[in-house]
Amino acid sequence: MIHWLRLHRLALLATLRLILAHPLASLFNLLVIGIAVALPLGLYALVSNLQGLAGQLPTETQASVFLHTNAGPADIGRVQTLLSQDPAIASARHINKHQALKDLEQTSGMADLLAGLGDNPLPDSFELTLKDGASTDLAALQTRLKADAAIEYVQLDSEWAQRLASIIRLGREAALTVAALFGAALMLITANLIRMQILTRREEIEVSKLIGATDSFIRRPFLYFAAVQGLLGALVGIALVGLGLNRLNGPVSQLASLYGQSFQLHLPSPPVLGLSLSTVALLSLFGATLSVGKHLRSIGN
Amino acid sequence: MIQFNQVSKRYPGGFEALKNLSFQIDAGELVFLAGHSGAGKSTLLKLIAGIDRPTAGSVVVNGQNLASISRGALPFLRRHIGLIFQDHKILFDRTVFDNVMLPLDIVGYDRREAARRARAALDKVGLLGREKLNPISLSGGEQQRLCIARAVVHRPSILLADEPTGNLDRAYALDIMELFKSFHQVGVTIVISAHDESLMADYGRRILRLNKGQFTQ
Ligand SMILES: Nc1ncnc2c1ncn2[C@@H]1O[C@H](COP(=O)(O)OP(=O)(O)OP(=O)(O)O)[C@@H](O)[C@H]1O
Ligand SMILES: [Mg+2]
Repeated sequence: MIHWLRLHRLALLATLRLILAHPLASLFNLLVIGIAVALPLGLYALVSNLQGLAGQLPTETQASVFLHTNAGPADIGRVQTLLSQDPAIASARHINKHQALKDLEQTSGMADLLAGLGDNPLPDSFELTLKDGASTDLAALQTRLKADAAIEYVQLDSEWAQRLASIIRLGREAALTVAALFGAALMLITANLIRMQILTRREEIEVSKLIGATDSFIRRPFLYFAAVQGLLGALVGIALVGLGLNRLNGPVSQLASLYGQSFQLHLPSPPVLGLSLSTVALLSLFGATLSVGKHLRSIGN
Repeated sequence: MIQFNQVSKRYPGGFEALKNLSFQIDAGELVFLAGHSGAGKSTLLKLIAGIDRPTAGSVVVNGQNLASISRGALPFLRRHIGLIFQDHKILFDRTVFDNVMLPLDIVGYDRREAARRARAALDKVGLLGREKLNPISLSGGEQQRLCIARAVVHRPSILLADEPTGNLDRAYALDIMELFKSFHQVGVTIVISAHDESLMADYGRRILRLNKGQFTQ
């Protein structure tokens, strides 16, 4: 056990020495990895910030139902029952068309104009508050309600929120796709870096094999190197995203203040960052494993 | 300890470097391997270390048949063997000391104990004062001795030396032969190859003579 730990410590120390021995090349590699990590992570950060913003908005979904202007009291009564029985609706408030006209006269100051119209142009309407979770199936609710002959129009006030939600979903998909692409690229980059290292250390590998090094002894430093490099590169990527968000934060909070809001962009949560770090380390490790498996066999016997 | 049964080695090009060799070397023996350049001395030593495999016959080392040894078991067999390569195979990207440490690192020796052993081995070959240098700054004879230190540092039971006195003058060569004698005295089985038989004669040991891949008397 101690012996095993010693071999691993040896490999880890060798890795750090190797990284420090070629500071410029190492820095360059870390930047390459960092950028590959920063792009999907940055996209993800933007999307999840947008989602946070959407979360600050009222979640209760509202809708309005407008009747035909010629709807009579019987129609109104029937629609009232219909609405109160619908499983997606929490409550429905009737707005009398006469009342609506009076309200409009008072708030708009267009009393003269409206008086000149003679007939009341406004319909009877209902203001609905939807149940939680009902917002997922608004289209169904809409068709259900429109089936009643007295109902002219159903307006979903949350339509824009839905649109925002689908934009967020789209952004999230895009972030995942970019992450998959860059993950694959990262693996190939690492495989190639390790291949070059194996070639430059060919002699050492050959001699080590000849004097009794096992395959895992030979493999270990390369795998450590890949994993450590991946981790450091991912940290660079996170730092890049942090810097980018920081730069955006000035204009963003200015924009938010125009709407009377205070809003700041944040890095993704620690679990997400942890997941990115370990994913990058694993991908690097995997790339290195492929490379080592392919190239070590060809050296020595 | 080392046993060859009707061993032949044909290289991929078709050249038969060793032809139907049978012999045995007992534990603790010191044996010389003589023969002209191209006779097959290096090939024979490579077969003992499992660096190459015979195309016919069996090579048994330490009770293990190298014709059928698994890839995984080979490193552990090699740890019982000290190899002095004809082309030295010194690593010039590290110090003299680190070259000697390599066999111990491979085995996962405790660092402090390993360092002690490495210094002892360097002392034995007279290079203790040079441990921090890059081996590139050593003379040919010193590099040869560095190879010997690296080959014996992990105290192998078999020592295979391929032309260890190759391009040294006679005084140096005698020094090195004295070294081998001291290893022999502590029970190491040793095979030393050379194309020049004049050094061997003085020692009165068994000499295996190769000529075009076959033994002669
Ligand atoms: N890898 C190889 N492929 C093909 N032929 C080889 C190979 N290695 C050695 N040979 C041939 O096998 C023969 C024996 O080579 P070997 O290296 O064993 O000779 P040697 O006795 O060690 O010679 P020297 O004293 O010059 O070192 C030579 O003719 C050589 O050309
Ligand atoms: Mg030779």
